[in-house]
Amino acid sequence: MTSRTFDDPRPFQKQVISALADSQLRANLGHATSTIRNKRAKVVAELEDWEALRDHGAYIKDLAQSILPELIRQVEVNVTATGGKVHFAKDAAEANQIAIALTKSYGAKSVVKIKSMATQEIELNKAFEEAGLEAFETDLAELIVQLGDDLPSHILVPAIHKNRSQIREIFIEKMGRSGVPAPKGLTDSPKELAAAARNHLRARFLESKVAISGGNFLVAETGSIVIVESEGNGRMCLTLPETLISVVGIDKIVPDWSSLEVFLQLLPRSSTGERMNPYTSIFTGVTAGDGPKNFHLILIDNGRTEALQDPVGREVLRCIRCSACLNVCPVYERAGGHSYGSTYPGPIGAVLVPQIRRGSIGKLEKSLPYASSLCGACYEVCPVKIDIPKLLVELRSQNVDRARDQGALTGEKLLMEVVYATFRSPRLFASSLDIARKGASLIGKRKVNIAPPPLSAWTKARSLPLPRGESFRDWMRENHPDHIVASAKAMSGESITKSTTNGLRQLGRFGLHLQHDLAKKRLRGNSDGMASFKVPNHQPIATPYKADLSIGQTIDEFVAPIKAITSSGFTKPIEPTTSYRTKGGLSPHEIVDLFIDRTIDYKATITRCNEKELAKTIQELLSKNQSSSLVAPKDFNPYWLSDKVLKFVTFDDQISHDRLDAIDSVVTTSAVAVASSGTIILDGGEGQGRRAISLIVDHHIAVVFEDQIVEVLPEAIGRINHRAPQTWISGPSATSDIELERVEGVHGPRKLDVIVVRRG
Amino acid sequence: MKIGLMITCINDALYADTAIAVVKVLERLGHNIYFPEQQSCCGQMHLNSGYRKEGIELAKRSIAVFEEFDYVVSPSASCVGTIREVYHNAAVATGDHRFEEVTTTFSPKVFEFSEFLIDILEVEDVGASFPHKVAYHPTCHSLRVTKAGDRPMRLLNAVRNLQLIELEKSDSCCGFGGVFALKNSDTSIAMGSDKFTSVKKSGAEVLCSLDNSCLTHIGGIAEKMNSGLRVMHLAEILAQTGDQK
Ligand code: SF4
Repeated sequence: MTSRTFDDPRPFQKQVISALADSQLRANLGHATSTIRNKRAKVVAELEDWEALRDHGAYIKDLAQSILPELIRQVEVNVTATGGKVHFAKDAAEANQIAIALTKSYGAKSVVKIKSMATQEIELNKAFEEAGLEAFETDLAELIVQLGDDLPSHILVPAIHKNRSQIREIFIEKMGRSGVPAPKGLTDSPKELAAAARNHLRARFLESKVAISGGNFLVAETGSIVIVESEGNGRMCLTLPETLISVVGIDKIVPDWSSLEVFLQLLPRSSTGERMNPYTSIFTGVTAGDGPKNFHLILIDNGRTEALQDPVGREVLRCIRCSACLNVCPVYERAGGHSYGSTYPGPIGAVLVPQIRRGSIGKLEKSLPYASSLCGACYEVCPVKIDIPKLLVELRSQNVDRARDQGALTGEKLLMEVVYATFRSPRLFASSLDIARKGASLIGKRKVNIAPPPLSAWTKARSLPLPRGESFRDWMRENHPDHIVASAKAMSGESITKSTTNGLRQLGRFGLHLQHDLAKKRLRGNSDGMASFKVPNHQPIATPYKADLSIGQTIDEFVAPIKAITSSGFTKPIEPTTSYRTKGGLSPHEIVDLFIDRTIDYKATITRCNEKELAKTIQELLSKNQSSSLVAPKDFNPYWLSDKVLKFVTFDDQISHDRLDAIDSVVTTSAVAVASSGTIILDGGEGQGRRAISLIVDHHIAVVFEDQIVEVLPEAIGRINHRAPQTWISGPSATSDIELERVEGVHGPRKLDVIVVRRG
Repeated sequence: MKIGLMITCINDALYADTAIAVVKVLERLGHNIYFPEQQSCCGQMHLNSGYRKEGIELAKRSIAVFEEFDYVVSPSASCVGTIREVYHNAAVATGDHRFEEVTTTFSPKVFEFSEFLIDILEVEDVGASFPHKVAYHPTCHSLRVTKAGDRPMRLLNAVRNLQLIELEKSDSCCGFGGVFALKNSDTSIAMGSDKFTSVKKSGAEVLCSLDNSCLTHIGGIAEKMNSGLRVMHLAEILAQTGDQK
């Protein structure tokens, strides 16, 4: 298995040519992007406070940047206090060296990986290969790309350029070379393809010692990492191996848990077009008896600090990598991801890549800002309000200014200067219009079909109109001579009168109000209530590692350049005046109905009963699933299990993963449920058990009491144990990696039964 | 109220009919519109292709030319959009506070033609008649920057004998994009061809929009294909009364 990386330095215009000629690719992309566009539009329209959420998403990211050095220190303190170790890498090479040294020191020859843009950006797979280690991708789309020796072409669905029959061929041909082969008679049904991936990876998950992940958000307040996924491969990697290494960019740090109530509404809707992705894992350091024994966080800079230096870079660094901008981009739809020449394709790539490669601007980086018609569709959907068209224009200006500084004389520059000179002088402008008109009448045509360069770029498929007939100015002179105004002031641009500027100074200016106070607790709900949560038993790293820790930087070295930027002239962002919903408005009865509706929508089954009937209900669900074995958390209430079930239930006491794999069903309670997205949250509280049991077992029965259901996500945040490892579940495991069509059932439980219980 | 006409450089050079149509429609509605002859270009071309210094000078110049009017009307969503958004962005990016203030004052006076009819003059029926099948293409700047919404449709619906045809995927970009059409001509043409195909499929005889720049691009493809599709600015359709051509 080799790891291909992006290494084509040619400009976008050149790289795009093969994509434009590939009609299969265009069909695949057109189909996939229009599917996801429609899904997104539907779930976004459900939220009346969507625009307010966007405002806050942008604001929180800006806020985080402005206090980044403090947040990094907070992360370090909190991760260390909970048993993890933080490493600081200034660039890709350092990050890779640290990850390799750690992997080797744990005696592993290979790692399993969760899809992560950060590890793609630093080309970790290639570095591992060069170090004699293997890195196995486990996300379905990444697996397709890796098996096919291909390059990713989309942020969320790296194999979006492949359709189901192409994927089938790759599986049949390549799976056997690196592990369990594809089953005989595999068809191109997405369900079968997903099942083949499950089968191919199952043993690998159970055997692997080390996993590598990225992170969607890193909550400074507690040092918690948030990973959003669908298939359950993420949960596998985060839960089963003994050692977990997370590689996270400093732009992923958010201040606190109330940041999550915003982003976990924005991200799933923007990326997969779902109200909530099937699985979100949140964990903090190392927790005794639940998940990896060793946890390392590698924080990477890799050009981000440089990007922080100017306003374009800052706006770009808000990005939460949802890929909504790709899915709506008409250029991406035709050009495909590979034409952008990097792991970050589409509109965000066009602005991000020139930013994080400020030190090495070549032909490709220069060309990217022009790879857009400035149609504005990206800005319209961006959940953190990155005004990509504005930034593209800004980057074009930087290109022009750079060329100017270097005194470069190009045809384009000459042309723009001539046009400028003409536009500036009314007389010159009027006379050139005349000359053009006369010239055109000499040609005697209305349109030309062939023109010399640079206009040949136009005429190769478009005719070019010529001025014809009477000019508007002549028409006015004849018909309305008295309506022509000659304005003397207009001769120079410097003639703007004082009267315009006065009086309206205040317009468009907002007072610098509502400065964010870090000390102000943003967390809603009962923060004293947090005290009632059991602090998990965090343990220091269990296995000593002998990695050379002289690699990388100290926290002081790492933070110093960031501090230099944020402490000089960095304006604090202004808190938005809009507000999003932090409380629902439905009655308890309606909330339960909404929850049921939304849960069914994501293919979980619902059974309702009262507490007295719970044991019977569980028994019935088990027999319906033909289960003959059941695992329950050690502290699961035995009164909820019938005598018959009690005969075959195993109460979990660190049962081995292999044994769990052989058990038919698992039953757990839950911490809280969110009606608006159909989400159940488990935080290891009473009756919920450790993460592995509700992951490896294929059939999950989740018990939710009616009074545990809240309407909107912000209400749930205050009810969960922030420091405990959590799993947020919305339906059974699923994937949308094949033509962006959702299929249920990949690595996590393929069947989810939810019992909604009335108390008493 | 004193109304100034900003015809834009492209109409000045190529599309006199559009500018004449604006004058005629407003006249028919009983309004005089004035043409400051020193106008040239709003600066969009320079601003969007990175020649910001020049673009800002042209922007300032345009503001000065139109400063004396109560309303400035322009048959171009992309030029109006430039004035509303790009001027501001350029002012902020260069730290030109004076320009920022001036543009903040100026831009609320500037209206794209369909906005002016519906929002300021409050008319939908301008007394036009046009016996053809017409499809409307919402250009990106009219869709997302000036946010014309259903205004053009309301105006077209009121035109006698006109049959409004729906376009599939109407909100997808035609691929013009100014400098994009030249620098990335292959992608631009691929997008334009898709747009042309959807117009063709719709069975419309005439394609109309609020921007002649995009129509030059789509119309250029149509022309090269000898398709017989006509492209017309909305103003030109609204100027038709049935007794002229
Ligand atoms: S730029 Fe915005 S829309 Fe695009 S990936 Fe980033 S967050 Fe998503």
